[in-house]
Amino acid sequence: MNYQILGNNYQRKDGIGKVTGSETYTSDVILPRMWHARVLRSPYAHARIISIDQTAAKALGAVVLTYADVPHLKYNERIVSIPPHLFRDRTVLADKARHVGEAVAAVAAPTEQLAEKALRALKIEWEILPHYTDPADAQSENAEPIHDAVLLNGEMKPIENNVAVARTVNVGNVDEGFEHADFIFEREYLTSRIYHAQMETKSCVCDPASDGSITVYPTTQSIHNTRQLLGEIFNIPLHKVNVKRVAIGGTFGSSIQMNSIIPICVALALKAKHPVKLVSTREEDMYDHVRYQTKLKLKIGVTRDGKITAGHIQALADVGGHNIQAYALLSVLAGWSASLYKFPHLRFEGKAVYTNKTPSCAMQGFGNPQATFAMESLTDEIAHELELDPIEFKLKNYVGLGGTFWGQGPSVQSIIRSDGVPQLLHDGAQKIGWRARPKAGTQTGRYRHGIGMARGFHTSGAGAPKPGEVIDYSGAFIKINEDGTVDVVHAMMDHGGGTLEAIAKIVAEELGVPIENVGISPADTLTTVYDVVTHATRGVYAGGGAAHKAALKVKQQIFEYASRVLELQADSLVIEPDYELRQGVIYCPNFPERRITLGALAKQLQINSWGTMAAVESLRQVNCPPAFVTYFIDLTVDTETGHVTTNRAVIGSDCGTVVNPAMAIGQLEGGLSKGVGYALVEDNQWDAQTGQLTSKGFWIDGKTPAISEAPFNENIITHFSDTYEPSGPFGAKGIGEAATNPCAAAYANALYNALGIRFTELPITAEKILRALNAEENREARVEMREMEAMAVMQAAE
Amino acid sequence: MHKKTIHLTLNGEAREWSVYPNELLLNVLREQEYLTGTKYGCGIGECGACTLHLDGAPTLSCLTLAIACDGADILTIEGLARDGKLDATQQAFLEHSAFQCGFCTSDMIMMTRALLNENAQPSEAQVRDYLRGNLCRCTGYASIVRAALDAAALEKQRAEPSAAS
Repeated sequence: MNYQILGNNYQRKDGIGKVTGSETYTSDVILPRMWHARVLRSPYAHARIISIDQTAAKALGAVVLTYADVPHLKYNERIVSIPPHLFRDRTVLADKARHVGEAVAAVAAPTEQLAEKALRALKIEWEILPHYTDPADAQSENAEPIHDAVLLNGEMKPIENNVAVARTVNVGNVDEGFEHADFIFEREYLTSRIYHAQMETKSCVCDPASDGSITVYPTTQSIHNTRQLLGEIFNIPLHKVNVKRVAIGGTFGSSIQMNSIIPICVALALKAKHPVKLVSTREEDMYDHVRYQTKLKLKIGVTRDGKITAGHIQALADVGGHNIQAYALLSVLAGWSASLYKFPHLRFEGKAVYTNKTPSCAMQGFGNPQATFAMESLTDEIAHELELDPIEFKLKNYVGLGGTFWGQGPSVQSIIRSDGVPQLLHDGAQKIGWRARPKAGTQTGRYRHGIGMARGFHTSGAGAPKPGEVIDYSGAFIKINEDGTVDVVHAMMDHGGGTLEAIAKIVAEELGVPIENVGISPADTLTTVYDVVTHATRGVYAGGGAAHKAALKVKQQIFEYASRVLELQADSLVIEPDYELRQGVIYCPNFPERRITLGALAKQLQINSWGTMAAVESLRQVNCPPAFVTYFIDLTVDTETGHVTTNRAVIGSDCGTVVNPAMAIGQLEGGLSKGVGYALVEDNQWDAQTGQLTSKGFWIDGKTPAISEAPFNENIITHFSDTYEPSGPFGAKGIGEAATNPCAAAYANALYNALGIRFTELPITAEKILRALNAEENREARVEMREMEAMAVMQAAE
Repeated sequence: MHKKTIHLTLNGEAREWSVYPNELLLNVLREQEYLTGTKYGCGIGECGACTLHLDGAPTLSCLTLAIACDGADILTIEGLARDGKLDATQQAFLEHSAFQCGFCTSDMIMMTRALLNENAQPSEAQVRDYLRGNLCRCTGYASIVRAALDAAALEKQRAEPSAAS
């Protein structure tokens, strides 16, 4: 396809602001009369509050809030799940601490220093309860309940044995499937709890007005869902709740919708009758969200010639102290698994258990990095055992063109209509030198070299023909200004990947105007139509789809008005950018001399009082096409230190039409960095005795990859498939979350190739590699010893 | 605690500040000068988000007391562009889309600027070594390295006007 605008690189519209330091993030918002807030967080993993003495804090002139002072409505910060599946278990401030770092009181004062003093003046009496850092202990018979009951669809649902939610999914008859198998493979995989490590800590500014309305500047992935939750919790009609879009300093799922600090900030502002700013410290932020830790037990049956006959997956997810989206997590764990390979028979049993740790939340890939690590590790192992090339095995069994894809679990399904996997695997294999890779386990020296691959995907949105368990639609408002420039008014958040940039390009392409003439308007909830949330890799596909729909409407109006002015049939007209005039130009190809610029047309409309060319549209995509990604990793292991060096990474993406090439490459490079962290180093460990992070909230100890962990630029090779997604705007689908999903498995498989050892627990640290190598040496030594003993016995017998 | 008056140069302009002995340079810049381009990322020197130039040296402003800056020359991201023209580092970051969320962009640019002041033609290894203490969660650093290397080239080009002009 030839496009005027899509596929070209331009300076980003938010670029000048970002390179000059003038872009406004939540923490940069400064308002007149603004006060500062601090939050009192529990030092205990599980403890009831007996009393809080506020006298000294109030004497300092601070406003103080405790559980008694805030609305007691139970909420869930993420309201994308429909009410029957929305588990509400938290309040603005907690009546009991369920994890270290839980917010139990908050103060606001004219300065941050005074607020901190007031915070330290609060005296709390605690009743310490038994706490659980391991889901197995939390489920034990006499375990102290972390939650007695949660609010589900308006009713209190009792929680038993600290099991937040359990779910089973059956396709076909799994027992029958295993009967047809020649071989059955069973393995258990454990993934780590890692910190999102977004650069900006979660923050909020709330400005209350005298008429009871509030204006909120939050770190969030959804301004509209934040608005609705605040309206509900504080009982304020929605037209009096305005949530502003400000730039967000990274999120990766951590600000999924309404961070827990946002209602705290609002409650303080309402009480103080001052604007209040609340910026989390890094330590507080580290105790706020982590990626779900999962234990995945996989059982796969295959025939001798490498056809999968059945799969059985048992998943145990560690929810932490609050259930944000465990039901949805179990859905997608089943869905990602079912979509990775063709399982004629599949059984999924999932359980999510509360513990007294930081709440788990979606993090780039939502269950997919976990499922893909397990599935791509085991299928690599199966291929080796069957003496098949893993690529051949994958192509034989993967879900491709025409297959059914479960975008968000069993209720969100669509048919795959674009598939770049064969091309990506072919090109990736060539680029890495797949055929020349070593034979697993044959190397002996200090440095051992390995090549591994994995394939994965992520859904583009959560759209489907039927309403599903999650809400998914976007809206856009587009208007033509009187000089021919275009305003795009869209509520979607851009986390930095260039979502809004892509939306501007899609609009410019459809309207036939230069990209410089399309502006992304500042957005807030009063002036935009609903967009659910930027998550699930839906930005370009779903958000861009809505903008495209509105642009088509506006284009129709352009041609209708132009036909009056040019005295030509509307259907005969086209519009194209003219870079000399810096305008879109409307003309009829048969009579090219009769033309008018969009600016002149819009001005004519105004002079004639004909009105404004504008349209507002909402769109629910009825598909959720997979954005495929392939990883080939070439690495070297130092067997004396366990250190792994990435020699080369070849990352292939099928995102349909590439809208923003530089930014798409940026997604893959960023995906590699986060993927390497997940595969090899990042791990949040909890001290079982205290229930605290062993890092104590020090960021470096969370091991967020620095530049030293990244390969040199020439060793990161990105490539794209030549695909077109029929249901996407100009053939585009998603990319973002897909970019990390297969990375950990590609590393594990490359390590197997280098060492002949399978690693089933993330992260695969240098220590674990050394331990495994030692165990292997000991095993070999034992075998050797036994052989020598046997020989000695034989010799003695002779 | 009493406030003390200090004098310094901020982005090329003379300033008089009245600060408490325990006030951090980062907070004074953000809250008194409204220069919010320098960011708070961790407050304890782990991430580099608060990097600025203090007497020409890249410095973590979250670990610097404002009162210690009497007589100092401070350059923040806001002072980098001169006469409406972006610095070569800013221009290169813009052209390479060497940012996503942008929260580390100020510090990455200030580090790159400091590197180029020390070494006009750094190698990729030197760029990577110089930026090792600055975290970015979005980009995987590759585009930042591309921009930093290109900034050096751009600056060289700017310094040697072509024969045609």
